[in-house]
Amino acid sequence: MNIITCFKVVPEEQDITVKPNRDISFEKAPMTISAYDLNCIEAGTQLAEANGGNVIGISVGAKKIDDSKLKKNVLSRGPESIFMVADDKLENIDTYQTANALKAVAEKIKDYDLILCGEGSADLYAQQVGPQLGQLLSLPAINSVSKITLADGKAIVERTLENELETLEISLPAVISVTSDINLPRIPSMKQILAAGKKSATIWSAEDAGIGNLSATLGVIETKAPEQMDRKKDIVQGDSEEAIKSFITKIQEVLK
Amino acid sequence: MSDDRFDAIIVGGGIAGTVTAYLLAKEGLEVMLVERGNYAGSKNVTGGRIYSHSLEKIMPGFAQEAPVERKITREKISLMTEESNVTVEFSSTRLGEQGSDSYSVLRGVFDQWLASKAEDAGVQMVTGIRVDDLIVREGKVCGVIAGEDELEANVTILADGVNSLLAQKLGYRGELAPHQVAVGVKEIIELSAEVIDNRFNCREGEGTSWLFAGIPSAGKVGGGFLYTNKTSISLGVVSTLSELIKANKTLPQMLEDFKSHPSIEPLLKGGKMMEYSGHLVPEGGFHMVPKIIGDGVLVVGDAAGFCINLGYAVRGMDFAVGSAECAAKAVLKANKAQDFSAGFLQCYQSFLDESFVMKDLKHYRNFPHFLEETPRIFNGYPGMAADIMTDLFVVTGNPPQPMMKMMMKHVKNMGMLNIAKDGWKGVRSL
Repeated sequence: MNIITCFKVVPEEQDITVKPNRDISFEKAPMTISAYDLNCIEAGTQLAEANGGNVIGISVGAKKIDDSKLKKNVLSRGPESIFMVADDKLENIDTYQTANALKAVAEKIKDYDLILCGEGSADLYAQQVGPQLGQLLSLPAINSVSKITLADGKAIVERTLENELETLEISLPAVISVTSDINLPRIPSMKQILAAGKKSATIWSAEDAGIGNLSATLGVIETKAPEQMDRKKDIVQGDSEEAIKSFITKIQEVLK
Repeated sequence: MSDDRFDAIIVGGGIAGTVTAYLLAKEGLEVMLVERGNYAGSKNVTGGRIYSHSLEKIMPGFAQEAPVERKITREKISLMTEESNVTVEFSSTRLGEQGSDSYSVLRGVFDQWLASKAEDAGVQMVTGIRVDDLIVREGKVCGVIAGEDELEANVTILADGVNSLLAQKLGYRGELAPHQVAVGVKEIIELSAEVIDNRFNCREGEGTSWLFAGIPSAGKVGGGFLYTNKTSISLGVVSTLSELIKANKTLPQMLEDFKSHPSIEPLLKGGKMMEYSGHLVPEGGFHMVPKIIGDGVLVVGDAAGFCINLGYAVRGMDFAVGSAECAAKAVLKANKAQDFSAGFLQCYQSFLDESFVMKDLKHYRNFPHFLEETPRIFNGYPGMAADIMTDLFVVTGNPPQPMMKMMMKHVKNMGMLNIAKDGWKGVRSL
């Protein structure tokens, strides 16, 4: 059983800053694994642990995603190997192109029974790549999956819908997008981190992966943070009855 | 070498641990470094300055490559009262000469660079893992335990910082005593490089180190500090724990008041607070150094209490490097002899004794005690200096007094004998 888990590399959310002109700055934000894809990797690893098999991590993106810390991070979470297309041609690609690039990687790996995706990415959360990848590979694709059980050649999945729990049976290979409540991603142990350093990572250029003619169709004109309301800078000092009263009055006035 | 066995395991990815790991891996040893934070430098706090002499020996010219902030070419010391500030300033090109130069640093960045050097040298870096305990068999330390994992090594080096729980578990030392440690809080305030150059009268790439006694630590043992980084200022307050208990203000409040002091506020104007952190600082000096050698184990850096606070200079990082070098030398020697017993590892102590680490710690051994025993430094002299300066510079139209008489008035308030005594004791402890 070969399970492919897809992960996206995104800038670390908490280190993204807003500049005074409302521009978004990624300068201090290191690259990290999209949080939802940690659930995807964990789901793949748990399935392999329960049913036997091999987990492979795949990703596509700009050259910078080929980062040793990042790869070690993925490999310490269960996957035995990583395949990546890391090429600056893939900067700013849209979901359809991403799905196409992932398809190229999956086709190069050839031998797989299941492809897992996170529900959406931590940066854009378009929730498109999983379903589109299924379509491109002509495989059954299903999203919002919160539980997977494998049984000979099939997957029995649960989808938590608004008012009901849907249980479906789909034939493999398939592409499944999992929700963030499917599991709690593990914290890798000392030995797992150590072992990750010895696992293999294969990095391809867009040419290597046969998608050399792919180029970004999206151009970002600008990304701005929402306008912040100016602080009133009205400070009430002290803890006397009077100060508290004036504080409450001020709040009441604003709420009116 | 099997997967689960190393020549050396180092606990802690600060400067002491990383340099030890680097030196051992460079000589071909199988080394693993375990760091509790998600990256080296994520858990520690520094005031802000590294004296380069010790690291320069290990990585010549490191400052050209390492992400240091500014070369310190301007030293300032202030006696601060609530409304006044008396400053002595020293600037010299001598401060920046290679080998005796010092740099402001931000450890979050600096330690990651150092860790990448260690990794390049072959160290297995394991981050995000806390070592819970040590494997001890018949009194010999045989490796580390983290969660359910155990890994063994010929020698384990504890570089787990000031509050070394592992050294404590081994019984090498007890709980930290309140007079042995200080607590520091620090803000990093972002300003443009140009604004910093202008406000601190610094040339590009050069910077100021500034220490304050008096009101920043509310007149208790401790003080304020300010270091200029490339595009930020590190500003903080340190106070000895035993004094903090007696203080009428909390440490965060001290920092708030320090920031709004009339001499400091304009320097920070328009700045944006980027980081707030707090940490313990070993301050006991020589007398605080615990047991640092055992069967299969050595203790380095802050964990060994290698730090001195002289009031006008605070040094810890160069001791971290110095002790790391001694530990690495000892381990290499032990590795050659394949003898990791406490007896053989005593050579760590000899290397330390020969190095500046022990020489300096011994030299200044009475200074921490002197500071503690001389509250006037923190609650008397700042006021006296301010009063003298006030009489000197504040023109009110009242008839002037002869300068000698004016000065003596303030000196007498303090007690001539007290000043002489403090001066004598202070100089003798240096």
